Amino acid sequence: AKHTEQHEGRLYNIPLEEVNAVFPHGLPHRFQQQIRTFNEARVMVRRPALELLGYLKGSNLRHPAVRYVIYGERGTGKTMTLCHVVHYCSKQGWLVLHIPDAHLWVKNCKELLQSSYNKDRLDQPLQASVWLKNFKASNEHFLQEIKTQKKYMWGKRESTEEGRPLREVVEQGLARARSACDAVGVLLRELKLQSHRGSFQLLVAVDGVNALWGRTTLRKEDKSPVCPEELTLVHNLRKMLRNDWSGGAIVTTLSQTGSLFKPSSAYTPQELLGKEGFDALDPFVPIPVPNYSPREFESCYSYYLERKWLQHEKARTEDGKAELQFLSGSNPRQLDRLAGPL
Amino acid sequence: PCRDTARALGSSPASLAPCRIMPVRWSRYNPSYLEPEVKKESYQKPLEELTEEERELMELKAVRPIKAAPPTLSSSVFSDPMISKFTNMMMKSGNKVLARSLMSQTLENIKRKQLEKYHKAPENEKETIECNPYVIFHQALKNCQPIIGLSNITKGGKTYQVPVPLTDNRKRFLAMKWLITECRDNKHRRTMMPEKLSQELLLAFNNEGPVIKRKHVLHKMAEANRAYAHFRWW
Repeated sequence: AKHTEQHEGRLYNIPLEEVNAVFPHGLPHRFQQQIRTFNEARVMVRRPALELLGYLKGSNLRHPAVRYVIYGERGTGKTMTLCHVVHYCSKQGWLVLHIPDAHLWVKNCKELLQSSYNKDRLDQPLQASVWLKNFKASNEHFLQEIKTQKKYMWGKRESTEEGRPLREVVEQGLARARSACDAVGVLLRELKLQSHRGSFQLLVAVDGVNALWGRTTLRKEDKSPVCPEELTLVHNLRKMLRNDWSGGAIVTTLSQTGSLFKPSSAYTPQELLGKEGFDALDPFVPIPVPNYSPREFESCYSYYLERKWLQHEKARTEDGKAELQFLSGSNPRQLDRLAGPL
Repeated sequence: PCRDTARALGSSPASLAPCRIMPVRWSRYNPSYLEPEVKKESYQKPLEELTEEERELMELKAVRPIKAAPPTLSSSVFSDPMISKFTNMMMKSGNKVLARSLMSQTLENIKRKQLEKYHKAPENEKETIECNPYVIFHQALKNCQPIIGLSNITKGGKTYQVPVPLTDNRKRFLAMKWLITECRDNKHRRTMMPEKLSQELLLAFNNEGPVIKRKHVLHKMAEANRAYAHFRWW
């Protein structure tokens, strides 16, 4: 996907087989419905994405990993920008560590086990095993090549020797739900240590990164609230996001829609990450994502017309177009919701 | 106290502006009040193109007070009176937000199902598949409207079901009512309303489904009770 600034505003097509391979879990729900209705996946090329791709192309992999934070108001296309970048990197052959929504890990968890590795922390077997399954689906060939560097013990009898492919670690995590979180931790640690060598490039893509530093809605058995540090998954992910490793990049998105205990008008990194999160992520490159420019709006409108999504007769007139633009305020999500029943 | 002074002065509540009384349901406006004009085109005409009557109307509007516009009236090009009537009938305890979102989800559902069928169909059948949810909605309602109705007339101590012609409004009301009650009662508890409604509308569009059956049952009853038709006196 070689896009330059001339392509801004146009839509590019991703073949359906690649969609299933690269994004087993990353795309927003409405976009997945759209793929099913139109039988194709079309992503719009926008300026923030082009900016990010430019930075990634020019980044020196010898230096420590650069952190990019995509932020913007609700519904302006941050998750889609992230998916664009993920698709580009997987096309280039990078190893992509894509976490679809970190908010899913800090709320609505049915099972919390006490971690066997560290007595203070809590495990989440369900979420960890789901994520491992999706990770395996997207990065099959890498798991075969990369070898472990240390011996890991899973409980008293099972262990993984040094030099075994990472696929065994993943399969161990999937087979035993209890050690799924530890498998995730081992995976992240290995990838971090080995990306130094330069045999592969690592992209860490996290959506909803403000979940890692906020509060959780989970409670322990004695009804005391759980801090995010006490969750193994969150702890390991935070270690990954510190830029003490080289050979890749970290791209994250802030998200207000899934966030807990934050006002709905908050969208800047300062407000959503809080003091802790901001200090932890401190030297980062912010990338704002605005609403549609007039050119992008026109391109989206003509795409809907061409695909027969806008069926109302009046929607084809100038008046209808002006009304759609006014009512949605050029916000991509509002336009999508308005164009639904029309 | 304000309402007493109004009654003492002998005029209806809404015509007294300085006394801040909200117009109550079914309140009657003073006959001097005029209807609000919603269409954008009428305001964009330059003065020369107006005929004599329209010029008189403009001058009258500058002098007389105008009634408040009801919330259902909109100047949007996408508004449809039938759809708003249907949304009002679906609404429960005044929750118009929920009713409107259910309606938009229903229309989107119909559009998605039809588009999926359209994209999978072979070339020669593509033109027969109708994808516009509004066209489907209107056609389905038309197919559900009964032609003749029954009314209870008591004669000589017994009540008879007499076949009677229906007005347009009554036909539309019956069609919408049957659709909504069918969706609310006879479906599985866990299915969502947009799902149920879109299914029913598509069936009614093809002249199949339980609502069409109910219309046919009514027609048959009216045909069976033809003998009592002369009991009607209007």
